Amino acid sequence: MEATQAPAAGSPTLLLEQVVKTYVMGDTEVRALRGVSLTIGRNEYVAIMGPSGSGKSTLMNMIGCLDTPTSGSYLLEGLPVGKMSDDELADIRNRKIGFVFQTFNLLPRADVLHNVELPLVYAGEPRASRRKRALEAIERVGLADRAHHKPNELSGGQRQRVAIARALVGNPSIILADEPTGNLDSRTGEEIMRMFDELYSSGQTIILVTHEDDIAAHARRTVRLRDGLIESDVTNGARRRPAAAATAPGP
Amino acid sequence: MKLGLDIAESARISLSALMANKGRGALTALGIIIGIVAVITTMTAANGLANNFKETFSVIGADVVYVSRMPWIIRGPDEFARFNRRPQIELDDGERLAQALRGRAVVNPYVGTRELVRYGSKTLDAMQITGTTDKMVVMSGTLPETGRFLMPFDLQYRRAVAVIGWEIKERLFENRDPIGEKIRVGNRDFRVVGVMAKEGQGVFGGTSTDVEVYIPVTTFAKIFGGRQRGFDVDLAIKGMSPDTLADLEYEVIGEFRKIRSLRPGEDDNFSINKLDTLVTAYNNIMGVVVGVGLMVTGIALFVGGVGVMNIMFVSVTERTREIGIRKAIGARRRSVLMQFMFEAGVICLFGGLVGIVVAWLAGIAPAWKGARQDPIEALRYE
Repeated sequence: MEATQAPAAGSPTLLLEQVVKTYVMGDTEVRALRGVSLTIGRNEYVAIMGPSGSGKSTLMNMIGCLDTPTSGSYLLEGLPVGKMSDDELADIRNRKIGFVFQTFNLLPRADVLHNVELPLVYAGEPRASRRKRALEAIERVGLADRAHHKPNELSGGQRQRVAIARALVGNPSIILADEPTGNLDSRTGEEIMRMFDELYSSGQTIILVTHEDDIAAHARRTVRLRDGLIESDVTNGARRRPAAAATAPGP
Repeated sequence: MKLGLDIAESARISLSALMANKGRGALTALGIIIGIVAVITTMTAANGLANNFKETFSVIGADVVYVSRMPWIIRGPDEFARFNRRPQIELDDGERLAQALRGRAVVNPYVGTRELVRYGSKTLDAMQITGTTDKMVVMSGTLPETGRFLMPFDLQYRRAVAVIGWEIKERLFENRDPIGEKIRVGNRDFRVVGVMAKEGQGVFGGTSTDVEVYIPVTTFAKIFGGRQRGFDVDLAIKGMSPDTLADLEYEVIGEFRKIRSLRPGEDDNFSINKLDTLVTAYNNIMGVVVGVGLMVTGIALFVGGVGVMNIMFVSVTERTREIGIRKAIGARRRSVLMQFMFEAGVICLFGGLVGIVVAWLAGIAPAWKGARQDPIEALRYE
């Protein structure tokens, strides 16, 4: 078993120490995480992998501040997330985390612009700068001409790009992507992954949760979970250049 | 600081949600509309009845105290039996009271019976025949439209003259001038000397001068006094100023006890009546009626509220995912709460406003009728 401490790029963005999460289901106690310690530094590109039931989703919820640990500590940029109230967690999610989900999770009745500017609405950003930043994010994902379309007028790949724009717009510490290509065909999936690669190149910290090796291969470090514990934590070797990149011209 | 943005966003979300489910929102608002209309209509009706009541009984006079054998409001047969044993109030009692209150109040007797009234071949059954004096004009402030009212010499000489109500004149004489004509009341002839102005009738059907025949009380005594065991007189007493009604009431009680030679400690064997007693009784009854009405309509409104609650439950349930998304990207509890509060608020506000407008339009119908009146017709109407 390999348990090499991954080299931290810069000071830790995320620091988990002996995080335990137990759920009570009926009268049985389920230990989803049994003592996970993980450090992720600024501008890291980490894939979290593991079979279902490994605690992968629980860990993602924990990192995304959607849930708090039963014991152990979690510092996000030095902030003790474990002891925060619901509303404080909402603020942390708003400012520090950008979510990208497998099912996109856009608001169906709102247009692209409104979907993207929503985090800024909850951050209390004034209307004008909110609009400006949202349009910038939309342009960054290449959807400037679709700003006033509704999600159901877009393809799956475009929807996911809207979700990425929404994750980016608040300038978060981490982009947390949960199976971001799970609902997309492999070609579109590659496009989305290239977008993550670009974000990484521009200095963004990205955490991918996936069970696909192809997708995980984009990351520079892979953390494998099994039965609520970290099984391995390795730095990926020479970055495998995806074959599709050679044929598809860059934007 | 963030509140304004929260409100703007909530408004935006809830309005778009409502627009997406127009029919559902409209039906829910309908519940509120019905509730509001019901409540407003009940309150308006109660108000209208109260005004109508006041109009109907304004004949009685708010500043007049009545001395009668019976109180106007009798609770149960036991009370009736007890009051029925009281001695009758005679015309003499009235004169003595007038003497005692001379310079402080006007006393006017009223005595009534029902008789057949006939003119030529036309007969009116069981009309109200009221024996009174010339002082009635002071009491009620009503004057004959044509001719004159009773005069002191009518009373002094027990003349067979009558002042008839407007409706009686219409039914007996139609368009002919009744002044100087002879009508038959019971089995006596009376000469018509005046016709009272039209008064109209309230919904409560209180006494109206329109269907009465006024004759001198002395003549009344001469003709009808001999039968049965005499007749019961009501005495109306009007003070110099309406402000001193309470004082007047005490004085009247005192003087009438003297007339009745009651010893201290003995109960009054007569009753003091005034409009106030009726108003109090009316308010008690109407209070209950309006209370029950408001309760029922309140339930209608409540049911409307339950409708809103129901629709909000549905709305929250079907947007569980949306709430999840919003919370994940940083919505606080307050923001989510506000979003749904706003939606409920819009439905209720819309329903309430439409309800008010509907109730208001219902009030417009009579107003419209009034506005398009022909002025000539309107002026002729009394």
